[in-house]
Amino acid sequence: MAKILIPTPLRQFSGENDTVEVAGTTVGEALAALTAQYTDLRKHLYNDAGVMRSFVNVYLNDEDVRYLGKDATPLKDGDTLSIVPSIAGGRVVSFER
Amino acid sequence: MMLTIEQAPWDVMVAHAEATYPNECCGVMLGSKAKDGNKTIVEAFAVENVYVGKQEDRYEIRPEDLLAAERAARAKKLDIIGIFHSHPDCDAYFSKTDLENSCPWYSFVVLSIQKGKFDHAGSFLPNFDLTEAPPEELIWPKF
Repeated sequence: MAKILIPTPLRQFSGENDTVEVAGTTVGEALAALTAQYTDLRKHLYNDAGVMRSFVNVYLNDEDVRYLGKDATPLKDGDTLSIVPSIAGGRVVSFER
Repeated sequence: MMLTIEQAPWDVMVAHAEATYPNECCGVMLGSKAKDGNKTIVEAFAVENVYVGKQEDRYEIRPEDLLAAERAARAKKLDIIGIFHSHPDCDAYFSKTDLENSCPWYSFVVLSIQKGKFDHAGSFLPNFDLTEAPPEELIWPKF
């Protein structure tokens, strides 16, 4: 079993649970188990094409899974997955003036 | 819904925004959300602007810093309520760049820093599709 830490704004879609334990031997299987159990979470993590939303990152313990094996990254008992957004921005740029 | 920032975190936010002028700054706000949807910020801390390029116009938060913030919030029994950043010599509005690079999970507070000093602020709530970010009522300590 792996633990998935749910960010506060998404807990309304995970039965108010801040942590969900799921079965799965890979990151992809664990996330599929999570969104199968809490179906409303899916649209917050994936777009209509089933691709993870651009601002969503998944960390296995301290590592971004994009730099591991992405969905195929293997999991072992006790691993923790975290859902972390990408955030950036900036003031008006010249073409917006 | 309303976002209230207490004195201590507000001081951290303004000090960081003024210290990093003329560059943009960024940071994380921790607090809690009441049942009525109103939110209170009780702690804020700066994170490094890691944007590669002109930081006068842009900011970027390292995801690892947000992961650390999430862990810190859990340890303190608080929640990440929002993100703050500054607009040097520019109004506190939510730009197209802000919107396209935001996420719909948090409040986004923008501090306008004019000639190195805080001028005004606004808070914005990006929608699900990141197509608009309506303002929310923001209460900060008045000097």
